[in-house]
Amino acid sequence: MKLNITYIYPENLNLYGDTGNVEILKYRAQKRDISVNITTIGIKDLINKNTFKNTDIIFMGGGPDSGQKDIYKDLIKNKASYLKDYIENGGCGLFICGSYQLLGNYYRTADGSSLEGAHIFDLYTEQPDDNAPRCIGNTVAKLSSTILEDPYFKNNNYIGDLIVGFENHGGRTYLAEDSVPFAEIIKGFGNNAQDGYEGIHHKNAIGTYFHGPILSKNPHIADYLISKSLGIEKLQKLDDYLITSAHNTALRLRS
Amino acid sequence: MNLFFLKTFTQITIKIIKLFKLGNGYTFPGYFILKFFPNILSSKTFNYKKGIILISGTNGKTTTSKLVTDILKGNGFKVAHNASGSNLLRGIVTCLFLDLNFFGKPSSDIAVLEVDEFALPQVLDNLTPKVLVLLNLSRDQLDRYGETDTILSRWINSLQNLSTKTTLVLDATQPVLSILKDIFKGTTESFNSFAPHGIHVKEAFNIKNVNASLKVCSLYKLNLENCKNIINNFQYAYGRGEQIVYKDIPFTIYLAKNPASFTNNLETLIDTPTFNSLLFILNDNIPDGRDVSWIYDVDTDLLKTFYNKVGVSSENIFISGTRCYDLASRLSYAGFEISKDNVNKDLKKTLNLIESKKLKNSSFAVLPNYSAMLAFRKLTLGRSIL
Repeated sequence: MKLNITYIYPENLNLYGDTGNVEILKYRAQKRDISVNITTIGIKDLINKNTFKNTDIIFMGGGPDSGQKDIYKDLIKNKASYLKDYIENGGCGLFICGSYQLLGNYYRTADGSSLEGAHIFDLYTEQPDDNAPRCIGNTVAKLSSTILEDPYFKNNNYIGDLIVGFENHGGRTYLAEDSVPFAEIIKGFGNNAQDGYEGIHHKNAIGTYFHGPILSKNPHIADYLISKSLGIEKLQKLDDYLITSAHNTALRLRS
Repeated sequence: MNLFFLKTFTQITIKIIKLFKLGNGYTFPGYFILKFFPNILSSKTFNYKKGIILISGTNGKTTTSKLVTDILKGNGFKVAHNASGSNLLRGIVTCLFLDLNFFGKPSSDIAVLEVDEFALPQVLDNLTPKVLVLLNLSRDQLDRYGETDTILSRWINSLQNLSTKTTLVLDATQPVLSILKDIFKGTTESFNSFAPHGIHVKEAFNIKNVNASLKVCSLYKLNLENCKNIINNFQYAYGRGEQIVYKDIPFTIYLAKNPASFTNNLETLIDTPTFNSLLFILNDNIPDGRDVSWIYDVDTDLLKTFYNKVGVSSENIFISGTRCYDLASRLSYAGFEISKDNVNKDLKKTLNLIESKKLKNSSFAVLPNYSAMLAFRKLTLGRSIL
């Protein structure tokens, strides 16, 4: 068995140790004797309709403003359509913070100008005026039922219905009416500090503001992505004592 | 106005704070003084005969400012120095007030101040240094500082307005800093990462700190041989390669507060593995930043190399601090074998455990982040800072 992970823009989008997510997927797959192949794609790499053919999970991290500027043109012009096909056809993916925003319809800056998004997630993001505080802090959220009821999740979940993480974002994201959130915020700000939603769950792709890196303290999400993408109903259970303890510590942190 | 009375106030406050163990004492007096005299540092009072040297950057501030202080003292200067590491505006105010004499004038010839990289613009608004040393800039406490780009743009703004009386000293090998050279209108001097002649520097990452200090010495036209002697006999600042023997067990502290310093320490320990036990301590208190995700910015391959090279068995690896399980998970994801029993939030209990295990001929490398380092010193030495 083999897990093919495609990591897009590792050079530009990797804040808050987001690369750790890829390493954790690799570690947890290898522990189950699944070999792992990681392909990285940068700005200069041309892709085509076959690029994601063997991909099981696509990952994109969050990035500093400069990193997002650097990849923006290339993403929209050269990569967005293939990425959209991949996700619409049920490909698994995890998109953090900046890349979660970029996969939406548009990003409106504080001065009112709009930056076109990749139109993969039905959502938009607004940068509030300069006086609005950034959303920073520890987070806890309850996963949405679309994930909780998925047998691939249920069969591999030993830790509960909650996820923990750390968020740091200025933009406020609003989901379209038909979009399903990834989770509902219990502690922290989430998408926009108002409606209580966090992230998006679209087909088999997850967009989220959670850093941490998110998979480091949420092994159930890591295993969900592995099992779902490879069609393995039940993965061998790992000794997650340390990770579960880190998850439980995070549940009790101040926001 | 004679400010001597504020010095007395500062001294008494520090004594009280230390007596009642309310903190290190060097922050509050400055905070209080600034509340009533917000522009106090801009006053002519703080005209040092030989000027003020400011040292900033993500890593190496404390070591470099101690190096510069030791060298200047060794050359006969009287130096005011914020050795406590209180490096925000308030800590600097405290330090400078402590230096006032009875006439309300600085009693030292020169002030050497380490400055927090985020607070630097605010300090430069108030003080014009003779020398400004900028060591480096890398990821640290994103929740407090924002991205590295944010700090850099704050520095750029400050340097545009900085008096040309200042000499800027910066690391020529850091691309991120090279832009500052063009922005600053005054003189810029650079230092590099080549090992200096005639000086034995134990840790590779300290070469740049030594070179920065030598550059400052050259600006003061000091005798180079004399400076080299002083550097060769240098005692590291607290928590930076500091050795503590506690209950007959030798511990060496390597402050690991962000990805760069964690990495530097791993590289040093790979080069000179003179220990057989490890104690990691990770806290998420205010001075550390609440977020600990940076432990995943420490390169996994480097952690693997470290683990394989030092060959410490799981029985000799201990992990403590408020976020011990985060660090334990991170290390286990990098292939470390971690014994559950050796992971405990409570540092005191961890030290008791280490003592009770009676590990044979154990010598520890301790890798704590900032508040964890203070906590470790407090428990083993009875004091957290000086």
